[in-house]
Amino acid sequence: MIPRDGPEPADSEPAGHSPAGPARARIRPFLNAPRPGSQPTAGHGPGPPDGGERPRPFVLTSGRVDGVDPNICLETQVSVRPAPPPGAAPVETLTPEMQAIIAMCAEPVSVAEISARVPLHFGVTKILVGDLRANGYLDVHTTDVANPHDPETILRVIRGLRTIA
Amino acid sequence: MDFVQSPEPGASSAAPPIPVKIVIAGGFAVGKTTTVGAISEIAPLTTEAEMTEVSVGVDDPGQRPGKTTTTVAMDFGCVTIDAGLKLYLFGTPGQSRFGFMWNDLSYGALGAMVIVDSGRLDDCYPVVDYFEHAGLPFVVAVNAFDGQLKHDLDAVRWALAVREDVPVVAFDARERRSVRDTLLVLLELALSRAAGDQVPARTPH
Repeated sequence: MIPRDGPEPADSEPAGHSPAGPARARIRPFLNAPRPGSQPTAGHGPGPPDGGERPRPFVLTSGRVDGVDPNICLETQVSVRPAPPPGAAPVETLTPEMQAIIAMCAEPVSVAEISARVPLHFGVTKILVGDLRANGYLDVHTTDVANPHDPETILRVIRGLRTIA
Repeated sequence: MDFVQSPEPGASSAAPPIPVKIVIAGGFAVGKTTTVGAISEIAPLTTEAEMTEVSVGVDDPGQRPGKTTTTVAMDFGCVTIDAGLKLYLFGTPGQSRFGFMWNDLSYGALGAMVIVDSGRLDDCYPVVDYFEHAGLPFVVAVNAFDGQLKHDLDAVRWALAVREDVPVVAFDARERRSVRDTLLVLLELALSRAAGDQVPARTPH
């Protein structure tokens, strides 16, 4: 809990006793930046090697790894509904990750972009996006897909690329 | 009262664009991210995806494939084609153990661009095999680092043993126009296949 200046890259201390950090409760396993103050009080390097002290990604989904709409792909577009459904919990009461997702979707955005920018594991993103759709916060445009074998679609892409100088 | 922060309901009423995608495949450090970045209108982003990994050793075909999951980083970018169409480019590792990821990625893709470094072709064999069997239109794009090719394109074609109708082109991953032209080669191939004027596979009898 005591903020120390910069985590030392552990010079492999296998015998270091485990960090006494029960208060490290916030679940933000996907942020790459090291959290200040997350170091143990003594001068030991981080005890477990990479990721050992962070929750697994699917903690955020209560362990669910499937059951998600298989039509949600990397490129699927997501947009926020103009107004949450009546009776829905205020956005402020949702988890920070869900709030971050909703905040990103004012304009249509792909699931891949949400995953990269929040940032969240893609598998986790799909599940949370599916939850937010089920609860009425988001529209997930799984049916807005193009047939990749449609010559007209391919021609449109060709025309569009040709305008790139 | 809770909605002061939210945009006007009409503000986001525009229909979302229809997404289309092209897979950018290739081995380690052949220039996938550079390629995506050269043409994308956003700086390339990275997403991490957990993928089922089937580890099939080429040396031990008798061994049962072990299934595990692995986390793979994927770089991607996008290009707005017109008001209703947006092209996504997904860069994916070329190793055979990521084959399951290619399934996910190739589904619904317009085609694939396989980037190779002419100095180390073996990186891309698995992905070339995969796209051939999957029937996905693809182009082999030899990244000319500093304008230099270690082998000429005919030698690359011979070494990869790709079919006659698979274009093998040289390009520069740093040059937007070069990337664009390579994508256009791919799309022309996809178009000719979609239009059905493709001579089926082998030589006519």
